[in-house]
Order: sequence, then C-alpha cells, then structure tokens
Amino acid sequence: MKAARALRQVFTVARRDFVATVFTPIFLLFLFAPVIMGSFGAIGGLGAAGVTEGARGRERVVAIVPDALARPFAEADLRLRGPLRRDEAPPPLATIRAGRDPAAQARAAFAAPDYDAAAVLYGPLDRPVVLHGALEGSAARWLALLADEVQADARLGAARPRVAPSFRPYGRSGASGGGQNRSAFLAVFGVFFLTLFLAGQVVGTMAEERNNKVIEVLAAAVPLEAVFLGKLIGMFGVAVLFVAFWGTVLGQATRLLPPGAEAGLAALSPAVGAPAFALLFFAYFTTAYLLLGSVFLGLGAQASTMREIQMLSLPVTAVQVGMFALASAAAGRPGSGMARFAELFPLSSPFAMAGRAANDPAIWPHLAALAWQLGWAALFVGVGARAFRRGVLQSGSPGWFRRRRAAA
Amino acid sequence: MDAVEARGLVKRFGDRRVVDGVDLSVAPGLIYGVLGPNGAGKTTTLRMLLGIIEPDGGERRLLGTAHPRDAGDRVGYLPEERGLYPAMTARDAVAFMGALRGLPRREGRARAAAMLEEAGLGHAADTKIRKLSKGMAQLVQLLGSVVHRPDLLVLDEPFSGLDPVNQEKLEALIVAERDRGATVLFSTHVMAHAERLCDRLAIIAGGRRRFEGTVDDARGLLPSRVRYTARVEGEGVRALLPPDAEAGPGGWRFDLPADGVEPVLARVMAAGHGIAGLSIERPTLHEAFVRVVGDAARDDAHLRGETAA
Repeated sequence: MKAARALRQVFTVARRDFVATVFTPIFLLFLFAPVIMGSFGAIGGLGAAGVTEGARGRERVVAIVPDALARPFAEADLRLRGPLRRDEAPPPLATIRAGRDPAAQARAAFAAPDYDAAAVLYGPLDRPVVLHGALEGSAARWLALLADEVQADARLGAARPRVAPSFRPYGRSGASGGGQNRSAFLAVFGVFFLTLFLAGQVVGTMAEERNNKVIEVLAAAVPLEAVFLGKLIGMFGVAVLFVAFWGTVLGQATRLLPPGAEAGLAALSPAVGAPAFALLFFAYFTTAYLLLGSVFLGLGAQASTMREIQMLSLPVTAVQVGMFALASAAAGRPGSGMARFAELFPLSSPFAMAGRAANDPAIWPHLAALAWQLGWAALFVGVGARAFRRGVLQSGSPGWFRRRRAAA
Repeated sequence: MDAVEARGLVKRFGDRRVVDGVDLSVAPGLIYGVLGPNGAGKTTTLRMLLGIIEPDGGERRLLGTAHPRDAGDRVGYLPEERGLYPAMTARDAVAFMGALRGLPRREGRARAAAMLEEAGLGHAADTKIRKLSKGMAQLVQLLGSVVHRPDLLVLDEPFSGLDPVNQEKLEALIVAERDRGATVLFSTHVMAHAERLCDRLAIIAGGRRRFEGTVDDARGLLPSRVRYTARVEGEGVRALLPPDAEAGPGGWRFDLPADGVEPVLARVMAAGHGIAGLSIERPTLHEAFVRVVGDAARDDAHLRGETAA
C-alpha cells in the first residue's frame, strides 16, 4: 500500500516534469540540438577540409629521373596507390627530366612556384637521394618505394614474378578481438556521450521548485525522496524520448549507407552478442543516467541561484569526463585491476560494464552490476533528499558530528 | 481522538529555540486558530505538525498517526509562501495538487473545473498561472489544497495578500470546509478573522503556547471596561470612581469592578453627578491578544534576567 502510494507520488512528480519539459518550444531546440551541433560541425569541418585540401592539392612528390624512367615511375605510382584510401595516399607524383645537376634541381623543386614539394628524389635508382620536409617522411619513403618498384621491373622485366590473388568476402563466425575492442569503446563512448548530453540537465531542476516556492507544497504532500526520484525519472523520460527520436533517425539513416559501411558496422562483434549488447547498452545508459543524475540533482538542489547552478556545470562535466576516461582505460585492458576498479566504482561502473559487455560473454556480472548501480542510485537520491531537507528546509536533527561537538 | 495533537514540540535553528515546548489539541470538526505575533513560531509549529520538518523534541499525532506522512492524502495545506508552477493552467494546478494527495487526475480535473467555476474563476480555468493576478493565483492554490476533500486543512496565514472580497470568499470557504466535516487549523496574526471564524484558538508567543481556549475565553482574560459620562462633571467625580479610572474624550473609563458597576453608580448618583452615558464593553480578541503577548514578552525577559529594573 505504502509502496503503491510512493510510486504514485513519484510518477505524479515525474509526469509533471516530463510534461513541463517536453511541451515547450524550447524542447524542440533541445531535440534538434544535434542537428545544430552537426551543422556547425559540418561547416567547421568543410572549412577546415577546404584549407587542408587547398594545401594538399598543391603538394607533390617529385621524381627527378631520366626521360626513360618517367613512365615506369608513373605506372608504379598508379599501381601502388590503388589499395590506399584517399586520405592515406601520398601527394600526387610529378616527374622532372634529370639535367646535369639533379641535386640543384632537387633543391630548386622546393622553391617551385607551381606546387609544394613534399619530397624530391634524384640520383641512381639503386642509391637514390630523397630530400623531404620535416614532416614529410612518409612522402619520402613513398618515393623510395617507387624507385624500388621501378628498379625491380627494370632489372627483371617479364621475369619478375607476379601474384594473381583471388578476393572473396568471408563472414567471421566468432567475435574478433579488434571487433570486441571497437564495440567496447563504442559502448563506453555511447553511454558517456548520452549521459554527458542528457544527465547534466537535472542539475537545475530543483531550482524551479525553490524559486516558485512550490517546494513547500511538494514537501508537505510527498516525501522528498519521491520528489527527487520523480524529477529524475521525469527527466529520464525526456532523455529516452530524445534517444528514441535520434535512434530512429539514425536507424533509418544506416539504410542509406553504402554496403561497405554496413560491413563496418557488422565488424563490431560484442562478446555477449548483438541483441544482449543492445539491451545492456540501454540498461547501462539508464543506470548511468540515474547515478550521475542523482548526484547532480543532489548537488544542484543545494544551489539557490542560477549563477550557482551554472558554476556547478564545470565540476559536473569534469566528473563525467573523468568517469569516461577511467572506463575507456578499463575497456582497453579487460580483466586488469583498473578494469575491476572501474566496474566497481559506482559512477564509472555503468560505462565500464558497458565496455565489459563487449569483451566478456558472461551475463551474470551484468545483473549483479545493474543491481549494484541501482542501489547506489537509490543511496544518492536518499542522501540528496536528506541534504536538501537539512540544508534548504532546515529540518532534521543535528548530525552525528554536531551532536558530538555539542556534547563536548 | 483529536485531529491534531502535539506535546512539547521543540524546534531549534542553531542555538535558538524557535518552538519551545508547544502543546496543541485540536478536536475534529473545529476551526482552530493559531495566533501569534511575527516570529512567534506559528509556521514552524505547523510545518512540524505536517512533517515538512522534523521536531527536535516532543510528540505529534496527525489524524491519529504519529507519522504525518501516513495521513498525507487526508491533509490539505496552504503554505505561507504561496507557490505554483507558472506555466501550468489554473485547472491543471488544482488537479496536480490533488494528484499529489492521491486524487485521480481525471477526477481532479473535473473537480478543479467545478471549483474554479464556483469560486468565480471559471473564465480563468485554462489560463496559465503566470497570467493570473496574485489574488487569483492565491485562490487557485487554496482550491488546490482542498480539491481532494481533506479531513484536515492547514492554512498558514491564509488571508495575507488577499483583498477584502477574496478574504470574504476565503472565510466562506473555511466555514464550508468545517461544515463538510473537515478540521481547519489556520495561523494568523489578524485578530478579526480569528474572532469571526475560530471555534477554539491558541496564542503562541516566543515559541510557547500562552493561551488555549475559545474566543470568549480569550476575551475573558481581561475585565470588561466601563465607560461612564457624568451628567454634572466636577472635582469630586474622580474620587467616587475606582482607582484605575481614566478620563478621556468620551468620559471616564475603568475596569468593571468585581462587585459590578452598581455600587459605583450609586455613589455618583448620591453625589449628584448623574449619568449622561454608560456602557459596559467586553474586551476584544485584539486586546486580549496584545495583553497575552505583552505578558509573554515580560515573562521571557524576566526569565532571561533582563527585567526592566
């Protein structure tokens, strides 16, 4: 009976907060914030890419070779460049006919007005000299590779052995270590990103009640723990709505991805299997939200002005980033002492356990971890409500320390 | 079983005892006033009774339970500092406050609409609180505190900030709640409301209960005052009146003697001063309150060793 009443009170508060948050024009701004962020990111990225492209477009690797070798160099460049992604490939090749002083030509190439030389090769094929800029070591090695290829062709000609590979796609039956690591990092990052974006919002929610003096009405009708939990659940509802919306959008967007990209997603191979991984991801997002949210709510409830709440945003973000860093390190070293610590420490536990779901097929540790995390969330809510009651409502008897001090 | 019982309630804020052993017994179905000057501890007492804050000492029972939270759904409360969500409509605000006390939402909205209509706020049912006047918002909050038909209604300074028309509405609502069978406990320092409404009252000053009884009992704390105007004034009148008699613009005033006014009248008649005017006035609650609070301040000062002497 009491539990039913408490539940009803929690959901009355949660419903009010959910409605008050969602049914406002500001919520649309919040919902589409990723679009705004993405747009600015894209604009910035395009600008940066334009600058980079502009710089890269002028870059050349230059081979100062006799006329007879110009074509073999170009063919070798084309052949070796084939498997490389565009962003991995060295700058385009330019060949210059070798004159009487190739060394002087090479130095002059770095001052050429038409292009920016990243590296310049001259001299005999078996002992070429490659000049390069301080940061262009890979371009220099590319030229050396071309020289090696051209020399081998020149010496062996048709006798040079060639392989005729047969490429066949193959679906891996088990999870690969790399796939698990990628899944682990993705899980840790995903939970972190969502909580960073969403959990910090609860910091200021008690301020509304304090400023409107509604807290007195709530505190008279409902236990403060129910108010805190209701607020947390209300805001979690907002977060779930946000995640569901963007999850649907992104789910549909993956259909538009090219086949290669889909294969990239398929390479993610969590140890517990994809369906369980998805469920655990959501479960850990929930507990991460409740844990961090309850801490932030408790801290924010002590703040009485917007300025104080704004001041709290930095430590709040720092805590989240700290937990992410700890859990990321743990995901990279599954089974290590650090991983165990991250899995047990309440605030990093959801992140670390989400990573563990990718690395370890056992399910029972997750059930234990979820119970552990929910227990801590309940504790944080209780402590937050108690601190609020004592600090803001000025209720409760003096604490143990004050009683001892008074007795002394 | 009393609706509200408190024994020796104590609350300290820091080293200060804001409430210092208050006793209260409120029988069901009464309108009970908690009177006291500013800072007397009225609000703190009510908040302790409701379980908003925990007492540092003493016991309390609300509607038969020692845990006020357990009776939460049977209690309505209007705090001194009014508070509503500004973005809510009046109807939703009333229904929300009912929902907090266990009233199903649909029923709450229906009752809210009817109550707003009855209170003359039907036109504002779908208006957001932020667009209502202060008085209207206060009325909305009051309706929210009774929408679930509580057995006990606790109102902390309910009349403050209301215009005379709304004060009258509020008085009518308090009486209606009592007539419905609810117990109404309210605090005020405006004696006129208490005098009109209270079946019983307590006067709290300096964190302690200084008086408990009916309005008549309170007025009985002071003797009635006699106002006498002689038909023929003269030097001798003063000597014929009781020692506390004071001359004023409307004649002489003095406390009604223990043996009545007749011996005094006999003396002035015999001396030929006659009677141009005579009235016996019962003291008001206001006067009783001022006396009780004044005595309390003197007692407290005496206890602290700060007597005027």
